[in-house]
Amino acid sequence: MREPISIWFFSGVLFLIYGVIITAQGIWELSHPPAHPTVLFSLHASIWWGGLMAIGGLIYTIHFRPHRKQ
Amino acid sequence: MIHPTTLLAAFDGSPVKAQLVHLNAVDIAVIAIYFAIVIYIGFYLKGSTNTSEEFFMAGREMTAWIAGLSFVSANLGSLELMGWAGSAYQYGILATHWYWIGAIPAMLFLGIVMMPFYYISRTHSVPGYLNLRFGEGTRGLSAICFAFMTVLMSGINMYSMAIVMKVVLGWDLNFSIWVSSITVALYVALGGLRSAIFNEVLQFLLIWLGALLIPILGLIECGGWNNLKTQIAHRMGTTDYMHLWSTTAHFRDNPMGIHWTGIVFGLGMVISFGYWTTDFLVVQRVLSANNLRSARMAPIIGAGFKMLVPFIVILPGLLALSVLPFHLVPQDVAVVTGQHSYNEVLPLMLVRYCGPGLLGLGVTALIAGFMSGMAGNVSAFATVWTYDIYGAFLNKKASDSHYVAMGRWCTFIGVLISVGTAYLVQHAASIMDYVQALFSFFIAPLFGTVILGMLWKRATKAGGFWGLLAGTGTAIGLWAWVRHDPGALRYVALSVDAKAMAEDMYRALWSWLVCVIVTIVVSYMTQPRPETELEGLVYGATKIPEEHDDHWYQKPIVWAGVIAATFIVLNIIFW
Repeated sequence: MREPISIWFFSGVLFLIYGVIITAQGIWELSHPPAHPTVLFSLHASIWWGGLMAIGGLIYTIHFRPHRKQ
Repeated sequence: MIHPTTLLAAFDGSPVKAQLVHLNAVDIAVIAIYFAIVIYIGFYLKGSTNTSEEFFMAGREMTAWIAGLSFVSANLGSLELMGWAGSAYQYGILATHWYWIGAIPAMLFLGIVMMPFYYISRTHSVPGYLNLRFGEGTRGLSAICFAFMTVLMSGINMYSMAIVMKVVLGWDLNFSIWVSSITVALYVALGGLRSAIFNEVLQFLLIWLGALLIPILGLIECGGWNNLKTQIAHRMGTTDYMHLWSTTAHFRDNPMGIHWTGIVFGLGMVISFGYWTTDFLVVQRVLSANNLRSARMAPIIGAGFKMLVPFIVILPGLLALSVLPFHLVPQDVAVVTGQHSYNEVLPLMLVRYCGPGLLGLGVTALIAGFMSGMAGNVSAFATVWTYDIYGAFLNKKASDSHYVAMGRWCTFIGVLISVGTAYLVQHAASIMDYVQALFSFFIAPLFGTVILGMLWKRATKAGGFWGLLAGTGTAIGLWAWVRHDPGALRYVALSVDAKAMAEDMYRALWSWLVCVIVTIVVSYMTQPRPETELEGLVYGATKIPEEHDDHWYQKPIVWAGVIAATFIVLNIIFW
């Protein structure tokens, strides 16, 4: 039997998925720059912001994953 | 605490112009994933919401962090964010008052002074506390006002969301209303308050992650805070936009037309204390805490985060003053010219810096804000209806499972009434003004009743009832007076230079004062309850359980002191 899933686990999963999607989009844009880039596009915010979300999400997902009850 | 009508006016009735945001497949995927997660959470939590305590109070199992984030998140709706970002563009840093003095002292007061009485009395709701303290008359009055205003507010929130989605994304009104209402009804009816709280925590994190890039990239574009100040002063021809207090010595010295007395006494002492300490929508989150210490820490944690919110709300408005290549205009001008209005500032800044994926994240944060606002209203409605109206007056002896079933049905019915309100407002926008006004009438006097009930043993049952009624009547009377004769504002706000924002503050102040005076006078004319009956309800008649913290830094009072000191320092820095 497993213990209840924590809200922090749900948050971690959501942000891990979002982080992966946004980082992948940012990397794709390196080779396919948009026709109308956003202001400060050169900073590639998608890559580092998405990356930070993915790392944070991964840490929370692992740390708060539901364990088996003793 | 902002009137959504202020923002909605910016969208409703606008001339047809291109939608602000164009989403691509990645953005749609980000939004769809959010919907999938929240519905899954609802189904997952259904298994752990079988008793009324679990359904209405989340089993009183929430940690201080979850209750605290949910507490602050219940007030962090999308209309708030967009409205106050627009106000920051229009009025400058003065808009920060609604986040700092308009929230922090009241939240700390709730945690340190009031929470023990709410928590020890084991009440399920604020009307429930009033029943224990002042009897069924006061409970009935507050429960009926709260329940109906709350469900109507939910409808307004729903309609607001549909309008904003139409203007920002080009979505059909019916699509937005029905998708959001079905989703909210599902996850609240399944998981109760626990589900609403979980989604509020998610929403809080989403808003930060979705909006935080705007001030970060904005400050990079401006070249830092000092450059931003210089650019705004140059562009606006004055430094008034960057001061919190120094321009409030007279109504005409600042663009808001407010005076520091209104800010301190009206906003800081009455409106904010009324909202943060007696509005059941927010107090319910804290009542779900797993022990008294968590219940006291939750508002303090919430206050810490609330103090940071201007970074993602006010700062984007200020940045827009500097970086946008065009001027935003008031709504009445925007309707004629087709320009962008003040309240579109946040979506405009989002589009400016966020490409595909990040844009979807920002839009998801807005949708999450709207939906959790609706969920908060509906879950609070279900609780007050079931405990304080149905269970108190209509069916006192039903089984626990019957009340849970009633709560689930109430959620669906509440959502349906909300949908009906949304369509009603669509055809008669003035209804929204009345509902907004009605809601504000009740909050300030209610604070007078609750605070006297908690801190003054001599307050009597009759005093509480007649004070609440007289305070509410005063608020309605003042509102009707100014509506009938706009010139009356000079008497209500004590100055010919006062503007609409000042009216709200002074109306709240007078209605609170009348409530307090009537409560005191009537209490002295009537027989008080014996002190033994006030145990657990009133200061001086209650023994507060001692908290045994292992370390000094675990004490709520220490963290309240840290937040209070930071609050004072911030006000001095931005004086």
